[in-house]
Amino acid sequence: MRSWQLIIVTIMIILFSLAGPVAAHKVMVFAWVNGNTVHTESKFSGGRKVKAGEIEVFGPKGQLLLGGKTNDQGEFSFPIPQSTALKIVLTAGMGHRGKWIISKDEIINASSTNATSPAIENATGEKMTSAAGAKNTVIRPPATETTLSTDEIQQVVEKALDRKLEPIYRMLAEAREHKPTIADVVGGIGYIIGLVGLAAYLHARRQQK
Amino acid sequence: MHISEGVLAGPVLFSGMALAVAGVSIGIKKLDFDHLAQAGILSAAFFVASLVHVPIGPSSVHLILNGIIGLLLGWAAFPSIMVALLLQGIIFQFGGITTLGVNTVIMALPAVICYYLFAPLINKKPSIAMPAAFACGFLAVFMSALLVGASLYFSEKSFFEVATLVVTAHLPVMLIEGIITVFCISFIRKVSPEMLPGKK
Repeated sequence: MRSWQLIIVTIMIILFSLAGPVAAHKVMVFAWVNGNTVHTESKFSGGRKVKAGEIEVFGPKGQLLLGGKTNDQGEFSFPIPQSTALKIVLTAGMGHRGKWIISKDEIINASSTNATSPAIENATGEKMTSAAGAKNTVIRPPATETTLSTDEIQQVVEKALDRKLEPIYRMLAEAREHKPTIADVVGGIGYIIGLVGLAAYLHARRQQK
Repeated sequence: MHISEGVLAGPVLFSGMALAVAGVSIGIKKLDFDHLAQAGILSAAFFVASLVHVPIGPSSVHLILNGIIGLLLGWAAFPSIMVALLLQGIIFQFGGITTLGVNTVIMALPAVICYYLFAPLINKKPSIAMPAAFACGFLAVFMSALLVGASLYFSEKSFFEVATLVVTAHLPVMLIEGIITVFCISFIRKVSPEMLPGKK
């Protein structure tokens, strides 16, 4: 009897480990804007990355703008196609689908800093790295700093902020995922008990009449 | 096995909802007072079962339990499963509200079919009852997988392709469900055989 049970348990462990994409209840796709690029990350509710999931990007009127497949890390990036709100839809097969909406403000804020002139962007990029290098070695005379126009300074700051804030964007995006808590589970069971109670009450009333 | 919102075509959603409403009303009619608590408990079990991921190996898996729910409740499986799915949709965002009907039919219809197939066998001697219990758990998930394939037929290309994919992906779950159903039925037979269908 003991060995028989052991065999069953072993078989079950093997079966559990074989189970593939069934485990997932839902897929989630996160997206954030960095510079001219929209980054997306897709995963199943268990935390596994969505490999080769289909990403489709729609405009505000529901027109398809572009599409692609996620890589092995579940990531997919694309340049901003137009300065409107974007709807990103992930289809992961077997009826799993997730979506994420990027607001117009997010796109405009990101693209206005970059779209103005790529030349300046490159120039400021170089200046920024040299400035960063300089900070560690010698203090530059203030004269060179004043050659930057207000526009350029603004771009440098926004570019640096974008870079620094990227992990925070990512964290915020991921934090929006709602994980079931104990309170949710107990609450759900409570609802069911309540419904049973309600049905029992109605039944009792009907019997009294 | 929760089909997300926005995947299915409108006619599929409507016919799913209509079938689910029909099933639920039959279920409520057939649900007598004695089985009320049982239906509630099984509904709660279904609600929790698809939540508890068992992380073994590189992935995780969860139980569906629709075979045993059907076996014990018959038509009352429809309201039980719909309530549990509704709560899962609201609280955990599994599935969705528009797909509630389709998802209910996917889980509950196989449960009812299993009730008619296996309820007469479950009180027989163990050499018949135990294989029947296994087949009940196994087939319930198998039929659910087929129904998933069928409802995706309109939005994805070929029924055969999708159905094979869903069925093979669920094969481990079918075997696990079969084994779990055997354990449950043999336990119920020992502890309170009056719970089983056909014995009052």
